[in-house]
Amino acid sequence: MSSVLTREPDALPRWSVGRLARLVRPDTAAVIAIVLVASTVFFTNLTGPAFQDDEGTYTAQALSLDDGDLAPYTYWYDHPPVGWIQLAMLIWIPRLFGLGDGIDIAAMRYVIALYFVANAVLIYLIARRITVTMTFALLGVAAFVFSPLSLSLGRQIFLDTIALPWLLLAFYLVLSPRMALWSHAAAGASFAIAVLSKLTAAVMGPALLVALIDRRAWQGRMFSVMGFLTVGALVLAFYPLMALLRGELVSGDGHVSLQDGLLYQFTAREGSGYVWEAGSARSELLLSWAVGDGFLVVGGAIAAALCLVSRRTRWVTVAVGSFFMPVMVGEGYLPSMYIVAGIPFLCIALAAASDLIRRAVLRLGRDRLPNQALATPIVLVGVTLLMLVQTPVLGWVARDRELLSSDQNSDFRDTLEWMRANVPRDDVVLTPYSMWHDLDSRGWDDSWTMIALEKADLDPAYKVQHPTGWEGIEWIIEGPTVRSNLEVLGLTTASTALQNSEIVRTFGAWNIRRVQTDASVGP
Amino acid sequence: MLISAAHVAVLLITACLVLLACSTLFLSTYAWWSPDHRSTTGYPDILPANEHSFSLIMPCRTEREEVMRATLARLLQQTHSRVEVIISVGDDDPDTVAIAHALAKEHPDSVRVSVDSNAVKNKPRQLNTALKLCRNDIVGIFDAESIAAPTLLAHIDSVFQHRNADVVQGAVQLVNFSDSWYSLRNCLEYFIWFRSRLHAHAKSGFIPLGGNTVFVKRDLLVSVGGWDGDCLAEDCDLGVRLSVLKRRIVVAYSPDLVTREETPDSLASLIRQRTRWSLGFMQVYAKGDWRRMPTGIQRVNAWWTLTQQHFMALAGVLIPISIMLALFAKFPLPITMATFLPLIPTFALFTLEICMLHEFGKDHSFRIRARDYLRLVLGAPAYQVLLAISAIRALGKFYTGDFRWDKTAHNGAHLNLAEVRLADAR
Repeated sequence: MSSVLTREPDALPRWSVGRLARLVRPDTAAVIAIVLVASTVFFTNLTGPAFQDDEGTYTAQALSLDDGDLAPYTYWYDHPPVGWIQLAMLIWIPRLFGLGDGIDIAAMRYVIALYFVANAVLIYLIARRITVTMTFALLGVAAFVFSPLSLSLGRQIFLDTIALPWLLLAFYLVLSPRMALWSHAAAGASFAIAVLSKLTAAVMGPALLVALIDRRAWQGRMFSVMGFLTVGALVLAFYPLMALLRGELVSGDGHVSLQDGLLYQFTAREGSGYVWEAGSARSELLLSWAVGDGFLVVGGAIAAALCLVSRRTRWVTVAVGSFFMPVMVGEGYLPSMYIVAGIPFLCIALAAASDLIRRAVLRLGRDRLPNQALATPIVLVGVTLLMLVQTPVLGWVARDRELLSSDQNSDFRDTLEWMRANVPRDDVVLTPYSMWHDLDSRGWDDSWTMIALEKADLDPAYKVQHPTGWEGIEWIIEGPTVRSNLEVLGLTTASTALQNSEIVRTFGAWNIRRVQTDASVGP
Repeated sequence: MLISAAHVAVLLITACLVLLACSTLFLSTYAWWSPDHRSTTGYPDILPANEHSFSLIMPCRTEREEVMRATLARLLQQTHSRVEVIISVGDDDPDTVAIAHALAKEHPDSVRVSVDSNAVKNKPRQLNTALKLCRNDIVGIFDAESIAAPTLLAHIDSVFQHRNADVVQGAVQLVNFSDSWYSLRNCLEYFIWFRSRLHAHAKSGFIPLGGNTVFVKRDLLVSVGGWDGDCLAEDCDLGVRLSVLKRRIVVAYSPDLVTREETPDSLASLIRQRTRWSLGFMQVYAKGDWRRMPTGIQRVNAWWTLTQQHFMALAGVLIPISIMLALFAKFPLPITMATFLPLIPTFALFTLEICMLHEFGKDHSFRIRARDYLRLVLGAPAYQVLLAISAIRALGKFYTGDFRWDKTAHNGAHLNLAEVRLADAR
């Protein structure tokens, strides 16, 4: 007893703040702070932004893996499946904590939290690896966490968000200061997983190679480049291997194929027009990104151009440049969430460019500045001023406040509840993909009784299941995106059913419609 | 139920194959892992003062005079000042004994002859007899068909001083890479072994030594009773026993200081040589000295080091078999795809070998042509089969207790020298 009482009377208590502060390195502390702030922001009003059809698609595809299928309908190589395989592997976490209020698409958004937080941490680590000071590295992270673009698109269930940590990890590994072969080979694997999560991640390939090669020459460079390329290619090869084993590598009658899927994504899909064509889908999308976060998109692009001046940051220019290349010169299909994969690189560009300016200020003011430590505050004040001037104009704060408080899904939930309560489970229902899984898993459990909107036209199996065509459909849920989808995708079966239906119940932008066929209207 | 048991079995085999292939990849590329590794695997700067003296044993058996003369000349031309050479011969080989005595007469101050009179003739016994004649601090071994670099001993002396070593393993390199498809692979194998793998083993504290260009402090060697007179891989065995004693074993590599040798002169003799090595490793494994490594981790590492090579030889054959099995048995897609996983580290190693061949050429100022690279890549599967045959052959001999010494014949390409035969173990 006495020995306990007399032990080190002057020592700090075991878990005092002072003791912890000395134990934890500044970078570790910064990473812990990033994790805390990013998660708090992420979880605030997470289920507020409207559920998208794509989110429903990936949720449904992830959960169909439980039955051993890659998708609830015929998997047709629209995307490599690695993205939703990851979702399926992680869904137990929100389920463990009972998150998502019984809505699977909402629960799946909590899985994305892991990716969001990982992205924030990796932005910091990458900035530190290119010797950006802590202050500016944190500035880059703040731009990522608080950008209205990441708070809307970045928190939704998109494959781009799933690909991002792998992409960023690849950059982090490639920039290994020890120039270690294993980390360069691992970077290849990580990059391949990114590409297999979302094919568009491949645009960062050149930037990765620049980051790898454009450094002071070292003896093992040939090994590193070879290791990066080979391991990357070998991991990538598992996608065509899967197609080959399923007998679906090349196009052929009566089956889907990887060849057809890729051709659809890169050529057959309706283009978004050129960016300089006023009113084209592409120019409007670019404008919507600029409105969403002009500071990040415009400021980041300028910062990326600045990064060209130093060898250490040159890859950032290539990354941002090759990211925007398809936007600026292409005319193919450009999805709205494409920007998601660009945001972290714009943030890194901001951090790196600020740090370059700090160094320039230091050099210029070597004799004039009374204290060298003033350089950081000066640049920081400059960047903050710039943001203050910009933000009221572009509504950063206002947009953030809206994103972090408004609930855009109350109608979705009401519609879902009504359907669950009132529609018999053997009635055939056509529903937007956003709601499909949450309905199907409540008693229908049959993808040809509860049918995702586009499948009635696009999956040949529909005609086998419902030889009567549109008359096989009894209910249609008309969500806010349904009419534009019918038009864009040219869905005739679904359109006819919609035309021959009457509204039974309305919740805001959601209409629940009953299809009137001759049989149902008749005598 | 039977089906699912088969699935589990295939997955387990695949997991082992992945582990094996990753381990091989790690050991083979260890020296290139990072620039730090490169610098630690080289020789330190040469020190001005020669602190140690050397007794070099040159084991000979049915050797031709010009072979012995050439090897001896390179040992006597060393820049190091305190060197004596012991030519080790057997009393059943009068011709070689006569040559040895003649050579010793030409250099009475620095060359002596040790005649082994053991009833059983083999290399370790011959070495033990020669060890009794050694008088200097450090004992070194040079096989009769090898060509040492002139400044080698001066460098080795520096390593003993710098690193406070008990044992120093220098590198041996086969050089006649353009003779045949397998000689190219064989040369690269030596390059990888001495440039990379041995360093990884040294780092782990458990190292099978080589039999040529190896240097041990004499007191230490005498105190452990010299070499095991009944072991086929007496060099590997010595390494194991010294590792167990936690002696400081340093491996050093520099392209200028390698001892040059040549590949076996035919495919059959390459297989015989491989079988002998595999069998030697198995014998050392069966002796069980490795079990006396101090910690559990080190014992696992030792077990892995002694057995892994045979597994790897078999892996080259097992990977296609497991893939075929999964394909023809119509296993579920994820399991079939999993059987392809070992190919990632395997193919990664194949492509990195291209870089290694490039560096091999640069190190030794050889011109490596496009067809050499092509031969390297195309020869890989066949070489795997060859290694697998040797491993299986060794396993067969091991279980039938056949420990005779298969001779390796050399065609003398490195010096235009004739056959070299080592002693029969029986």
